Amino acid sequence: MHISDGVLPVSVSLGGYAVSVALAAWSARRTTSVQLPKVAVVTSAFFVASLVHIPLGPTSAHLLLPGLAGALLGPVAFIAIGLGLLLQCLLFQFGGLTALGANALMMGLPAIACGWLFQALKGNTHLRHAVAGAAAGATGTAMAAVFLAGFLAAGGEDFFGVAKIAMAAHVPVIVIEGAISAFTIGFLFRVKPELLETGLVTPKKEIHG
Amino acid sequence: MAETIHHIPLWYLPLLVILPIAALWAGVTGLRKTARKKTAADRDPDWSVPPLADQSQSGSFLHKWDVRCKIVTIVVFSFVVASLGHLAAALAAVALSLSVAVMIKVPAARLMLRLLALAGFLGMLLVVMPFTVPVHPGDTLVVFGGVEWLTLNFRGLLLASTIAARAVAIAMLMEPLLSTAPLPVTLHGLCRLGVPEMAAQMVLLSNRYVHVFSHEARRMSAGMQVRGFRKRTDTATLRTVANFLGMLFVRSFERTERVFDAMRARGYQDRFPEPVNLRLCASDLLICLAWLAAAAALVVWDRIIL
Amino acid sequence: MHETHEIRESRPAAGPLLFEACGLSYQYPDGTTALSGVSAEIRPGERVALAGQNGSGKTTLIKLLSGLLAPAGGQVRYRDNPLAGENLDRARLEIGVLFQDPDDQLFMHTIIEDAAFGPRQQGLPQQEAQLAAGRALDRMGLLHLAYKAPHNLSFGQKKRAALAGLLAMDPEVLLLDEPTANLDPGQEQVFLDLLKDFSGTLICISHDLIFLYELCQRAIVLDHGMVQHDYTMRELVSQRQTLREHGLDFSFRMVVAPESPDAGTEDTSCRPRPVSANDPGRGLVQLQNYCYRYPDGTTALQGIDLLIRKGEHISVVGENGAGKSTLLSCLTGLCQGRGEYLYDGKTVTGRARKRMWRKIGMVFQDCADQLFCASVREEVSFGLRQLGCSRPETAARVKEALSLVRLEGFEDRVPLHLSGGERRRLALACILVMEPELLILDEPTAGLDPQGEQLLLDILQKLHTTLLLVSHDIFFIQQLTRRTLVMHQGRIMEDLPMQAFMEDQRLGDLNGLSCMYRLRCTRDIQALQHEHEHTHEHQHLHAHPHRHGDMVHEHLHEHTHTHAHRFVHTHPGRDQSHDHAPRRYHEHDHAGHDAQPHEHMHKQTDETA
Repeated sequence: MHISDGVLPVSVSLGGYAVSVALAAWSARRTTSVQLPKVAVVTSAFFVASLVHIPLGPTSAHLLLPGLAGALLGPVAFIAIGLGLLLQCLLFQFGGLTALGANALMMGLPAIACGWLFQALKGNTHLRHAVAGAAAGATGTAMAAVFLAGFLAAGGEDFFGVAKIAMAAHVPVIVIEGAISAFTIGFLFRVKPELLETGLVTPKKEIHG
Repeated sequence: MAETIHHIPLWYLPLLVILPIAALWAGVTGLRKTARKKTAADRDPDWSVPPLADQSQSGSFLHKWDVRCKIVTIVVFSFVVASLGHLAAALAAVALSLSVAVMIKVPAARLMLRLLALAGFLGMLLVVMPFTVPVHPGDTLVVFGGVEWLTLNFRGLLLASTIAARAVAIAMLMEPLLSTAPLPVTLHGLCRLGVPEMAAQMVLLSNRYVHVFSHEARRMSAGMQVRGFRKRTDTATLRTVANFLGMLFVRSFERTERVFDAMRARGYQDRFPEPVNLRLCASDLLICLAWLAAAAALVVWDRIIL
Repeated sequence: MHETHEIRESRPAAGPLLFEACGLSYQYPDGTTALSGVSAEIRPGERVALAGQNGSGKTTLIKLLSGLLAPAGGQVRYRDNPLAGENLDRARLEIGVLFQDPDDQLFMHTIIEDAAFGPRQQGLPQQEAQLAAGRALDRMGLLHLAYKAPHNLSFGQKKRAALAGLLAMDPEVLLLDEPTANLDPGQEQVFLDLLKDFSGTLICISHDLIFLYELCQRAIVLDHGMVQHDYTMRELVSQRQTLREHGLDFSFRMVVAPESPDAGTEDTSCRPRPVSANDPGRGLVQLQNYCYRYPDGTTALQGIDLLIRKGEHISVVGENGAGKSTLLSCLTGLCQGRGEYLYDGKTVTGRARKRMWRKIGMVFQDCADQLFCASVREEVSFGLRQLGCSRPETAARVKEALSLVRLEGFEDRVPLHLSGGERRRLALACILVMEPELLILDEPTAGLDPQGEQLLLDILQKLHTTLLLVSHDIFFIQQLTRRTLVMHQGRIMEDLPMQAFMEDQRLGDLNGLSCMYRLRCTRDIQALQHEHEHTHEHQHLHAHPHRHGDMVHEHLHEHTHTHAHRFVHTHPGRDQSHDHAPRRYHEHDHAGHDAQPHEHMHKQTDETA
């Protein structure tokens, strides 16, 4: 769930912008600028992945994937998520222009945190990877829900109720995200383990030419 | 001043709350379908000329307006709208946005699609907030059949409506902002305003490959359906979807390398060519000023008069 | 390495070198060797074909030559300088590389911007770059689509746009990786004409030796990352033996198929008795006035009338974008069009459409779209799980299906790590295991090397299900099917028995299915491959161990002798002198050679003393 325009106080949305620009700059530093196009291409894959809907009884939930993005991309995930949200805002009719900064923080900070978490937890076995994936996926979504509630609550006590309900609505999504992340990481571990080793871009890798 | 409390029997609840929600839901779904159909082009446009170059709507001031002015004005205006505190002012902003959209002849269906995308979040606010805002002195409350926790607060409804109006006013400006110039030009305008050029190029690249990957994803899900896969609420579905995502990532990472190779093979060295040259003239600034003056008037009205 | 005692046909030997590769080697990140000890010299203006099986290192070599990869060992020199630093920057602007997938290459917002990207990098101002891009698009016949976004183009258009992006840079060298894979014959002809007119150096990878034969003079054959041969194209195609050794023998394609359906050579179970059109009971699939429009409003199919009988083998041909894939999607129930669709006499709508997967199996053009599991066993049993089969039955059927496609023992392998040909057969197994009543194959030969094609053909010829084959490959169509539907712009234009289809000349004009140059090349190559016993006295230098007179004495020596040879050659006419295809070293025994008295100079060594 993304925050739309007009919900947040202006000070919060401007602050969100400021912090996320700083974080994006830090995130971009982690790679050479020549390789940034790679991040752009992989962002589109995550974008498409986040459009996948999982049936949940009579309704369905779409994936948020901050945990998985963090696990696969590392610190660059923040740029990828910011870019994805910008794209969504520009072209696909969701999300708000003024709330973009806050939305990027809401998804991007959990991604960075989950990247670290995943790297710390993953061992050498299939099982450890899957568990680390589950932890990253669930934590990422849970953190995103907390951030969402926090941003909403910043609007004053009138919004506390909405914040609580938004948090509650995320509980089944947390479970689904955890399971999906565990299975996806498990699949990648068997099929292409090097993706989980190095990630997309390695900062100090020498590029030919 | 104490709150006004109206007591209504419980059976009014479906009539007053659930029925409108259901109607809204059905309406949104229906409208979304028709809007999708409407936005589809009837016939193939002429692709040998730049889009917007020869269409009737391209004559409007927004199409000729310098893209930098357009971005600055609309972004500033959006933040101004987001800061409005009263429903009346927000509705005035909606009227202003709507008149701009009408002036440049944005297709109604496209506008509708953008607004419908907001329906989920705003609908939740409209339903939840009336029941959850804390009771302040002077609020008008409706209690259904004496059930204390099921109290409808009109202040919450008002608050939610204001938020919805602000969101709609800003969302309606996205079409004028984006559809009056090709995306590369808009992004170039952003770069001239200080956004790093790489960011703009990344948006373009992502936009391009979102389409490629969504085609890929569609073919993959067709491949699964041909072998009998249907989504259900069970772990087998989760496992299969995870495989699908894993495959999508593997293919995208591989494609990333190939795209990067293709770029370097054509001489890419961390710079993209600039798409257009921009020139600023007085009329651009004039429109900018006029629009910002309207924004200022809105703020004054909202903060001081109301 | 093979013996290279060969007499080469003349090649441009003088002049400066363009590329000089010495002892190139490269390992993939996972440690497998892609190339080892590859050396080659390429001069300006040469047209070089890179041939070899899937996975023989061709694409890696192209990447090394264009400086996209750094070799692990050895060096690439371009215009007498190492390919690095400024020379590499310059080379990048002079060398055009066409990748297999055009989507990788079209990374800008519209195709004219994309075509202008290269010229802009070369330093041209915007106006001139735009002009160059426009000219290049015009040459590829795409100017009318200049401002269209790449994702809205058909595959063939994308491929042409990608080439336009290179031509706009006015390159001196073109490196092409499978330029014509998946293209319909009409667009292939466009590529061929354009590339034949290209005056610079050309290095082209393709599995289509007939295309290469038409385009290139020189052939480099790679096998397991090593250069096995480096000679003329004529030599390559004339040596069936070497072709076979490297899995490139496409000669099976030249065997004339039993053209008449009455020849009686085929299995009778494949041939239904003729049924009149107004006997719907016998039809497995029946479409009447079927139409389909994409969600965006473009018409994909209109007025389709089609009857497929049980056991029939039918092919569908037509240009890229003729609506073939849409027709398949409608048949499999992925899309719902308007009009009547009867399967086995019952109308297919709603719930029945959702259950069509139980009856109809389809193998996709790109098997990457179909393989998504972590092991071959999971992959093949996926469909059976959906069908609700029991565990033992699943295991038995998986085993059977894998042996049918000759992938026994692959159960625990990862599908992603298999070779192209194996993946294709695995995708086929995944469908066959579900025992569909109607099997649909969409371009089964795309991207396969000749050996893989032959294996696939063998497997498919043994199947007895009803078959619907979509392909541009006339040979496969001829081999596998007895009836052909010709599609054009969303309609079925013709519905012909195979014989009539092969003879119908008008189709070439209608569909761009002209395969005239292919027929001509095939005839040329057959003439080159013609070989017969020919006792032809000649002399050659020879080194072999021998006994020396009365002394018990064995050593290598060189001598001249005459004997009969078997030659590959053409006979243009009785009286004319005939050309020999290049002769090469071959093993032969020297009967009675020891007994022959002979004398020659001996080097005095310790043993002989």
